[in-house]
Amino acid sequence: MATLVVLFSPLPRLRGLLQRCWGRLEHGLLPGVSGGHSSPWGPALAVQAPALLPQPVNDTSESHEAPSLLDSILWMAAPKKRRTIEVNRCRRRNPTKLIKVKRNIDVCPECGNLKQKHVLCGYCYAKVKAETRLIRMEIGKKEGGPFNAPTVETVVLYDGEKPTEKDEGKRIIERPRKRPSWFVQN
Amino acid sequence: GEMRLSVAAAISHGRVFRRLGLGPRSRLDLLRNLVTALVRHERIEAPWARADEMRGYAERLIDYAKLGDTNERAMRMADFWLTEKDLIHKLFKVLAPRFQPHPGSYTRLLQIPNRDGLDRAKMAVIELKGNP
Repeated sequence: MATLVVLFSPLPRLRGLLQRCWGRLEHGLLPGVSGGHSSPWGPALAVQAPALLPQPVNDTSESHEAPSLLDSILWMAAPKKRRTIEVNRCRRRNPTKLIKVKRNIDVCPECGNLKQKHVLCGYCYAKVKAETRLIRMEIGKKEGGPFNAPTVETVVLYDGEKPTEKDEGKRIIERPRKRPSWFVQN
Repeated sequence: GEMRLSVAAAISHGRVFRRLGLGPRSRLDLLRNLVTALVRHERIEAPWARADEMRGYAERLIDYAKLGDTNERAMRMADFWLTEKDLIHKLFKVLAPRFQPHPGSYTRLLQIPNRDGLDRAKMAVIELKGNP
């Protein structure tokens, strides 16, 4: 009986002490330094450094959401050390090798512009494009309406050219200028 | 043929058809517009991927046209692929006789140097052989 009484008396005191400690733990984790237990909570402070500033405002709200903050102690990935300039240079300069040198640039034989080997010359293509645009305008004028594609072939004749035997049933588009050098007559 | 073991993953090994536009319908519409424009103008500038897709479709269309005007399947194909109805006449009466002697490859695909304004896309020119 005496042992039971002796055991019972410290138990509520222990429980009260434990409750007070646990309460201090819960409230002590959130404010941080102002709680006064800075040394045991040192690493926790370093982890929750961003939570320091809003702590006087968020005190009342944080006490309600204490379990969510305890769960999300895993936090995001962050660099531990500053990357030195040598490491930075190794990363920036080596593998991608800083824009490869292009060796496939040649000179166009017609106009002398530079062009890539597998690509058409820009200047010559611009000339061809302008000429086709004019020819299409002539075709448009001849056709008149929007959907009048003819059912015969077309021949383009320049200054001083006559339709030959082969251009029998074709419709003729006249262009009042000299035949360009690149336009080969079939 | 090979087994089609349902590779619905993000692997696209061996897929021949590209994904253009908003979906399969949109892709077909895009290619149909390009084919119509090619038959109308005989020389087209377009992004290289679209021109490449279009080339196969255009050559098959010409093969269908070679079968003849009276062929029902050829007429239905041309009706679907060419949105402007006067171009069907042009296809059967002009392009079919023009390409009759050639067995295949009626188009020419070449790359243009200068890409589009601001988006720097790889452009190409498709043209029917035989010139305006």
